[in-house]
Parts: sequence; C-alpha cells; structure tokens
Amino acid sequence: METSFAITGKGYVIVAADTTSARSIIKMKSDEDKIKTLSPHLLMAYSGEPGDTVQFAEYVERNIRLYHIRNLYALRPSASAAWIRRALATSLRSRKPYSVNLLVGGYDTSEHTPHLYWIDYLGTMSEVPFGAHGYGAYFALSLLDRYHDPEAPLEEGLATLRRCIDEVSKRLVVTPGKYKVKIVDKDGVREVEL
Amino acid sequence: MNSLVDRFSTTSAQSEIRRAQALAADDEEFSDAAWGSEAGFGSLAKGVPTFSVPSIADPSAFLRLHTDDHADPNCRIKIQHGTTTLAFRFKGGVIVAVDSRATAGSYIASGTVKKVIEINPYLLGTMAGGAADCQYWETYLGIHCRLHELRNRERISVSAASKYLSNLVYGYKGMGLSMGTMICGWDKTRCRVPAVFYVDSDGTRLKGDLFSVGSGSTHAYVSTAAGHRDAFSGNTCNLYHIKEDGWHFIGNYDISKMHYDGPGDVPGGPGKGYGYDIRVEGRSSANPPPVAT
Amino acid sequence: MARRYDSRTTIFSPEGQSFYAMEAISHAGTVLGLLAKDGVVLAAEKKVTGKLLDLSATKEGGYGGSGEKIFLLSSNVIGGLAGLTADANSLVNFARNAAQQHLLSYDEDIPVELLAQRLCDMKQGYTQFGGLRPFGVSLLYAGYDPHYEFQLYRSDPSGNYSGWKATCIGANNGTAQSLLKQGVKDAIGLALRTMSKTMDSTTLGSEKLEFAVLTLDPVTKQPKAKIYRPSEIDALLEKEGLAKKDEDTEMKPAA
Repeated sequence: METSFAITGKGYVIVAADTTSARSIIKMKSDEDKIKTLSPHLLMAYSGEPGDTVQFAEYVERNIRLYHIRNLYALRPSASAAWIRRALATSLRSRKPYSVNLLVGGYDTSEHTPHLYWIDYLGTMSEVPFGAHGYGAYFALSLLDRYHDPEAPLEEGLATLRRCIDEVSKRLVVTPGKYKVKIVDKDGVREVEL
Repeated sequence: MNSLVDRFSTTSAQSEIRRAQALAADDEEFSDAAWGSEAGFGSLAKGVPTFSVPSIADPSAFLRLHTDDHADPNCRIKIQHGTTTLAFRFKGGVIVAVDSRATAGSYIASGTVKKVIEINPYLLGTMAGGAADCQYWETYLGIHCRLHELRNRERISVSAASKYLSNLVYGYKGMGLSMGTMICGWDKTRCRVPAVFYVDSDGTRLKGDLFSVGSGSTHAYVSTAAGHRDAFSGNTCNLYHIKEDGWHFIGNYDISKMHYDGPGDVPGGPGKGYGYDIRVEGRSSANPPPVAT
Repeated sequence: MARRYDSRTTIFSPEGQSFYAMEAISHAGTVLGLLAKDGVVLAAEKKVTGKLLDLSATKEGGYGGSGEKIFLLSSNVIGGLAGLTADANSLVNFARNAAQQHLLSYDEDIPVELLAQRLCDMKQGYTQFGGLRPFGVSLLYAGYDPHYEFQLYRSDPSGNYSGWKATCIGANNGTAQSLLKQGVKDAIGLALRTMSKTMDSTTLGSEKLEFAVLTLDPVTKQPKAKIYRPSEIDALLEKEGLAKKDEDTEMKPAA
C-alpha cells in the first residue's frame, strides 16, 4: 500500500515515498518517483487517488515555479505549504475535489531552518517534526515518537528512516518494495540511496 | 455558465468534438468497414462506430439480462471489460499483442474485434474497458497528433501524445469513462527510442517498459496463458511490431491453436504448444519405489 | 503640448500619458524615505493645516498619524503618499486589500516589492486603457520582509517603481534628494533636518509633519511599524533641536 514518510533533523528534511503504482491488485510500475522538487529548497511527496495525484502535483509545481520566475526568489516553505493547503481546501468544496495527501518538506534559507508540513486531502495542515501517510504511518509514527531526535545529524536521520522502512516491511501485510529518498538542506535538494 | 462558455469557445475539447461530429454528419457515404482499421482514420470522421446487434426480438432486454445493469443501474451496460492487451519495449522497438473477443456481460458480442487502434502510421493505442470510449478518444487523439504535425512540422512524441490523452480523460473523471490503454510508438525526433505509456480513465499515466491491461492482464504478466485462463479474453490474437519506420501488422493468431499446437516454426519457440498439459505431457509427480529386479 | 494628443487618451504624447498626474504630484507635500541598517524612516509634509481643522481624532486612538500622508499598508509596510488625496485613499485601500489577500493565500506578510508591484500593475492599467484617468499619486513603501530585509521603494503614476536607499517624492523633491546624498548615518535626524530645510515654513511642528519608522521588535524579531502621534513628533523634534520657537507659535493661514 502507498506509504510516505518525512523526518526533520539538524538543518535538513528527509522525504521518502514508495515507488509502486498500483491499480487494484496489480503493480503497474515499481520505479515511480512520487516526490516532486517544487523549488531549489522544497520537496513534496504526494499520494492518493490515481490521476489526481500527478495532476495536482504538477499544478502546484507550475504555480510555485511561476512565483519563483516572477519574483526572482522562491516562495518560502511556510508560504508554499499555506498556498498548497488552501488549494486543497478550495478544491474540497468544488464539484470534483482532489484526493491527494502530501508531505511538504523544505529548508527556509532566510531563517536557516528546516520545515515539514503534513497536509491531507481535506486541507488539514500541521507543521510536524516527522510525518507519514498511508498504512505505513501506523507503524512509523509510534516508532518515531520513540526514536526521533530534532538535532540528529543526517546519518542518524537516515538510520531512523531505515528503521521505519524496515518496521513497515516487517509488519504490514502488503508492503511496498522500494523507496525513493530525497533530502533537502541548505545546499538544496538531492536524492540518496538507502 | 461553463456550458455556455464551452459552447462558444473554439478551443475546448467538447467544442472540438462537436465540430468533428458535425463533420461526420455531413459525410453521407459510410460503411461499417470504415472504422477500426483503415489507418485509423475511418472511425472519427464517421462519428459513431456501428456494432452488430443480436438477432432477437428485443436486443436491449436481452442485453440487460446479460449485463450488470441489474446490479448497478447507473452503469447501463458494461461492454468489453474482458480483455487482455500487452505491450513491451525492447531494443528492436515495441511489441503489441491483444486478444479479439468483445463481451457484453457474459455474452460474447464478437470474436473478431480489433483492439489495437492505429492512431497513425507510427502510433498504436490498445483498447481495454469501454470499446466506444477507447475508439472514440484514441481516434480523436489521432486528429490532434496530426494537427500537431501540421503546426509544428514535427511528429508528436509518444510522451506528448499520451499526456494529451491523459489530460483529456482526466477532464471527464468520474463521469463514467472506462478505458485502459497503452500508447505505443517510436519517437523519431527527440529521444529516438521506442516508448510505451499506460493511460487509464482515472487519469493515471505511466511510462514503462512493459504493461498489460485488462481482465486477463494478471495472467499475461506471468505467461501467455491469458487467452486460456481468462473467460473474457480469447478467440484470436493480433500482433504488431513497431519499428523505427512505424508499425507493422505481424499477424492474427488463433489463441487455442497456439495454446495446444504452439506458434509453429519460430526461432526460440518451444516447437509445440504452450498449454500446461502439452508442455508436461508424459511427465508425472508420482514417486513409486524402484521396482526390484 | 500634451493637449494636442488628448482627444483619445490611448494615443501617445511626448510627455507620456501620466503627464497631468505627474504635474499634480510636483505640487504635493514632500514625502521622504530613508533606509537605515536597522529600520526605515518616512517623513511627510502635511499641506492641509489650519487653526480650524479638527485634529482631535488624531491625538489618540487609531495606530497613530493624522491620516493624510502616511498609512499602515500591512503590518510590515508603511506607505507615504504624495498627490491627489482622494486617489491616494483609493490606492491605500487597494494596497491593504492586496496585502491581506497575500496573507490569506500564503500565511505570511506580503514581500515589500510584491506589494509595490501589485499597486503598479493597477496604476499601469490606468495609463493604457481609454476613458480612464491615471492615479495622481506617487508612493513610498517602507517595509521589511525576510527575503531582502529592510527596503524602500517609490512608485509614480505611470506604474514605474524602483528601490532606493533614500528618496523623496512631491514638491521640492530635487532639493531633498541632493540633501539626502550626503549619506545616511542617523536616519531619523537626517530625515527631520532635510524636512526642515525643504519645507516652506521655517520651523517644524506636528501640525505640518507626519513621521514614521519601521524597525524589528527586539524580542519577536517581527517588523514593528510606528507611526508617530502629534505629541510624539513634537517630543522628537524637541530632542533633535528642531522644535519651533515661541514667537512662531502664531500660525499663518494655510496657503
């Protein structure tokens, strides 16, 4: 089942999402990238209704990019998340709402802090030290309650993430195979292999 | 308000369809043979494709009995759900294989359906789900691929064509469209590689090396047994090969014959049937103790 | 002569479409802005004065200021306006709406330049389309945002805007700008001294002056706008040694 995690640490956010696209019981693809880079210091993992996810993510991507082009600086993570939340909240009361759950992680270059926002398809948003969506959240959140350290260096953060993934693999009936892991920090966005 | 805008705007999808339909209405000469094949240009200019109707007193009552109309009245008829379509990418291009059975509920409406839609000489679309939806929209896609060529002096990429289709069906999400298709081709201008995209009526669009769509897809992912295992797939199999110069129709194969007799003298083929009982003929799991001599 | 081209307002004239609007501003009260390391200062000359003017509302209540030249546009931006007062009020209303719109969409104070852009987009529109009259208003925007910290912008009726370290709009702006070129050390003092030299009257007082500063709150690190009340202005002038002398207490009627 679709699962995504994100955790913050000392000066960084790690965002991870599984890479399977499923249709009913069938894995149609096993290397799908479900984390978009919205701006030089902003990542967004998306999951939910097939079709809606990519359409909404691209809509967000283009708008954030447009802001960057118009103003020469990128929208800050907090402002981006607020805008994205509002887009979802507006959509919720429309004829055809987007059913998309998001984890928005970014590094605010003006105040030098990482930020992570948990957003669901209803337009609920909260800033969190770690977050997860999908069935994996049931296992990962309690694990992170125990092991998350806001001052953990990157290596430790990655180790904690690995713990989450291992726990989900161990306990969840239908587990995703592979994960894509991306990091955002003061140097920008990069992908890592676990 | 929106419908008003749609009616008078010149670019919306709906107005383009309306124009295409008006065009079709003007065209007097029309035969059943015009849809499907004929390089894919037959069906849209003609608008509605025609189907053969069962030779009975009340065809709609008959169909209601044999479709899932009674279970879900919103879904007036379910056509052509049983299908196996398969496409994959390799160094030498793309292979597309589909079965040919059209079902309406449990009723086999036709055994000679073309489930590959020849969008244009170098793009193929496969058909699973609603036959009308697939035929209509993929032919419509063909028009836009041609317009792209005329406007840009360049063939449309498989990626762009599939994106056009996925954006289009996404606009109709939740309104009852049912299609699962693979848009296959060989990009001439940009990356110069064969490409396969899976597009369905949820709005999902995936780039990949191998896809299989339809009720028989679970079997097809594993082996060639789909026509045998899936009751809604069967009859014959149409095979296409897309090379750098466009698609080529390889042939029409009888699935049962393949199952029992094999593909004939093909390099790499088993030389006999694919079917389990033929493959394991003479082999047994019995483990009797060695007979003392 | 601009008038030869005036039968259609969408036809270009050599002076530009905003010719009359620019004229209006060159007679308006001076507004000057100064950018310092730790804040921005705005000072403005009030034109509407007189013994009979009811100023009781400006003495207390509100957020300070007498509401003629200097306005709070957003919690992080103060605006100084020169030109037609009625047009200015409409622009202030628009600016406040734009700032709140941004706050609603992005949950952050509007970046200063973006607010200037919003107003200039509108001002530009009024120079392009027939049957409309441009806003006869120039603005100074003194603000703070995390991207570029303290900033000072000015915009004119044509919809042009630019960023400055120190600038001035309205009457005598040439004189003021040459005074400002001396460089900024003590922004508040320089602003007041420049005002006293450029204004018609020889001495300064709260009835002819509006004054505001934007700084960072030392505790919250959030921008804090302070628009001075008349009593605070007089106290400040006293401190800077620019307060009026007793014999000048008698005001001349407003020109």
